[in-house]
Amino acid sequence: MKNSKKVFVLIEVVMGVMVILVAAAMLREKNGEERGKVSVIIHNSEDSQWVSFKYGLRMAAQDHQTEVFVVSTDGILSEEEEKEAIDREIQNGADAVIVQPVPGADMKKMLKNVPQKVSVILVESQATEGEGTLDLPTVKPDNFAIGKALGEELVKDYNGNLKGKTLGIISENRAFEAVEDREEGFRSVADAMGARTVWDLSDLERGEGAEHAIERQEKVDFVIALDNYSVISAGKAAAKNNLHGALVYGIGNSTEAIYYLDTGRARSLVVPDEFNVGYQSFTEAAESLGSIFKKPENRTVSFTVLWRDNLFSRENQEFLFTMSQ
Amino acid sequence: MIMVVFSAISVSIMLILGVVMYFRFSATSQQEMIQATQKLMEQTGENMEDYLMNMRQVSDAAYYNVIKENDFSEHGNDIQQGLSLLYEANRERLRTIALYNKYGSLIGAEPIATQKEDPNVTRQGWYQQAMSEMENMHFSTPHIQNLFEDDTFRYYWVISLSRVVELTDKGISQLGVLLVDMDYAGISRMMTKINAQNNGQYYYLCDSNGEIIYHTQQIQISDGIMSENSEKAASYRDGVYDEVFEGERRKVIVNTISYTGWRLVGVIPNSAFTHGMFNIRYFIVLLILLMAMMLGAVSQIVSARISRPLLKLNESVLEYEAGEKPEIYVGGPMEIRYLGDSIQRSYEQIDSLMRKIVMEQTERRKSELDALQSQINPHFLYNALDSIIWMVEGERNDEAVFMISQLAKLFRISLAKGRTVITVEEELQHARSYMNIQKIRYKDCFSFIMDVDPEIYSLSTVKLILQPILENAINYGLHGADDCGEIKLTGRRVEGGALLAVSDNGIGMSEEEVRCLLTDDNRIHKHGSGVGLVNVNNRIRIFFGDEYGLKIESEPDEGTTVFVCIPAIPYTEESRKVLEAGHTFGRQERKTDGEI
Repeated sequence: MKNSKKVFVLIEVVMGVMVILVAAAMLREKNGEERGKVSVIIHNSEDSQWVSFKYGLRMAAQDHQTEVFVVSTDGILSEEEEKEAIDREIQNGADAVIVQPVPGADMKKMLKNVPQKVSVILVESQATEGEGTLDLPTVKPDNFAIGKALGEELVKDYNGNLKGKTLGIISENRAFEAVEDREEGFRSVADAMGARTVWDLSDLERGEGAEHAIERQEKVDFVIALDNYSVISAGKAAAKNNLHGALVYGIGNSTEAIYYLDTGRARSLVVPDEFNVGYQSFTEAAESLGSIFKKPENRTVSFTVLWRDNLFSRENQEFLFTMSQ
Repeated sequence: MIMVVFSAISVSIMLILGVVMYFRFSATSQQEMIQATQKLMEQTGENMEDYLMNMRQVSDAAYYNVIKENDFSEHGNDIQQGLSLLYEANRERLRTIALYNKYGSLIGAEPIATQKEDPNVTRQGWYQQAMSEMENMHFSTPHIQNLFEDDTFRYYWVISLSRVVELTDKGISQLGVLLVDMDYAGISRMMTKINAQNNGQYYYLCDSNGEIIYHTQQIQISDGIMSENSEKAASYRDGVYDEVFEGERRKVIVNTISYTGWRLVGVIPNSAFTHGMFNIRYFIVLLILLMAMMLGAVSQIVSARISRPLLKLNESVLEYEAGEKPEIYVGGPMEIRYLGDSIQRSYEQIDSLMRKIVMEQTERRKSELDALQSQINPHFLYNALDSIIWMVEGERNDEAVFMISQLAKLFRISLAKGRTVITVEEELQHARSYMNIQKIRYKDCFSFIMDVDPEIYSLSTVKLILQPILENAINYGLHGADDCGEIKLTGRRVEGGALLAVSDNGIGMSEEEVRCLLTDDNRIHKHGSGVGLVNVNNRIRIFFGDEYGLKIESEPDEGTTVFVCIPAIPYTEESRKVLEAGHTFGRQERKTDGEI
């Protein structure tokens, strides 16, 4: 009798606990499942070059039902500013952080306060630690290949003979690994074909200063713009016929850069797939949130070479679609 | 057990009911979800058709009211003004209205903008479509408008409605193409609006070839990250279809948009059906758990009501069996009360029978005792009288007087006012009288010595226990012995009692004969009264318990000693009554008596 009473009480208690658990699960579902949050820290976040990237982030966030927050930044961040931004975002509940590293920054030092459970994914450049690199998951295009493709376009236009041709190379900030790699890739082709670099302009100012700086340079046959802002600056100068007849070959990913190609101010444009940089970096971050076994991995995205002729082909229109969002 | 069975049945019924309810509800909910999707799609389809109809009307108005009515050479401004009015009236939905001649040259456009250097109009899809089927209007798939320069560096995503028109220039009619570019944002907004759910269900738009016009994952699909079964969907007629795509079962609902042949496709993955069902599942599980808890409690109460009286009855029966003799439980339902009553009556009857049996046993034993005692008296009397007759006949009057006086003493003690328990002293007196009579009878051919410790005189004993032993000593011990026999009666206090011993120096017995003496009371007695030692032994044990009685030691040709062991119970009137009442058969009671 006593045993059966004990069993009865035990069963009632177990069922009572189950009722509480089920009720808690119901309430939790009613309140909506907690969505993870991924913060994104990129330099000059409102720049047109990030439109595709941010669209990629948005699409990935929608696909993974995870919240995305892009930290608003103006200009290129310093190491301290970026560290502060990362720490602040983690303090504000970010479960993962996507970071565009500050050129030459000691990432190990920068991420020392980041808890183990928060995934950090880098975009555009690898992490550096002193003179070497740090093994952190990175999503970026193959910038060397992009530079090389740009060089090959130039070579193709001149049937492989660039002897006696002069070049002027411009970039917004050479300190960026992406710019370095692109230049290296470009030179690996152009130098071999006999082209001579007359000037190399870096650290372009924002605003009209950049245009004027380009205009002041010595006359060259080609202006090679290694990033989006350089293409726009060169395109503007070309639109005002201030490039002394130089042809612009560039690497860019904004509708403005496309416009200069469309209007013939630029000869050729290599467009990195920034949509996929955003989409894949976010996917890596989001997938690492839900699983202890899934660690973010390195990803390399593709790029496309655009000319005026193929600009509006069906495939390339999608680039413009992502840049127009 | 009742509770377990009752609970199990109840919970099983609840589970079955819950599962049936869930499946029924799930099926209804699925059906409702599909119907709601169909309704939403019909509504959206109608909105889209209105939108497209509106564009067609713009195109018709531009053609029939503006272009066809006017000659370009004379009314160029009127045409431009007409197009402008139409554009202004629909500018929220329109991107451009443009008119091209058969060579692809721009004739007029609204809003006025700079045409690109070489837009290559004749190679654009919308132009070629219009020219290939002149009688129809053609809706293109979304594309970037590549006709006019835009200083804001923007590229617009448009859907082109193109048709061949007849232009009149200087009175000469020629063909041209009228282009109405609709802002893709209008379609996109409609689709975004219906794609607000996040349960996995989604809608997309494709043309009749399956080429995607709008999809929430458009770029992912074109990049190969995702895929969509749009070609198959484009081949479906309007309706609901089951399909398995990339290992996932889903329902596909297709609705065709008039004028364009576009397909509005709604996709409900099976997971979407269950998405909203989690709460229902939880609710049903909660309901089942609560019902199970309640049923458990109810069944506990019900089974307790049924089983408690039975258990109480069982307990009282068990206690009864254990000898505690409680009242048998009578309670609970009528049947159990009846059962309790029956058991109670049965036990009462058993008790009554037991008492009767005990009483009868006691009576029987008493009768046996009386019979035993009455067996002594006639034998002895016969022998004594025989001796007196013999003495009187031999004129030995003194001896006869002595004999008669001894006989009188003997009978006085034998009768003992009806008492069965007397003092040891009286018993010894009885033995002495008996031996005196026997000595006369046997002409002093044996001697009798009595050596008893006076300390035991006052103890209680059953009367007439020594006489049969002495009789046996005379008859068996001395009979046939050559020398003069000697019988010795001794008595002393021993631990826990008193020990009387009758020994003779007669012929003795074998061990076998000794064993028979106390076990076989039916054997034929060769001599004496025939009252065996067995009877004496039984009487002592009946009164004092099994540990008391006789013990015989004998050696052939050496003699025999019979020990009589009795408890040390001081003789009082009270102890006599207790012993005679037959309550002293057990040792415990005897000890208590001893303490009295």
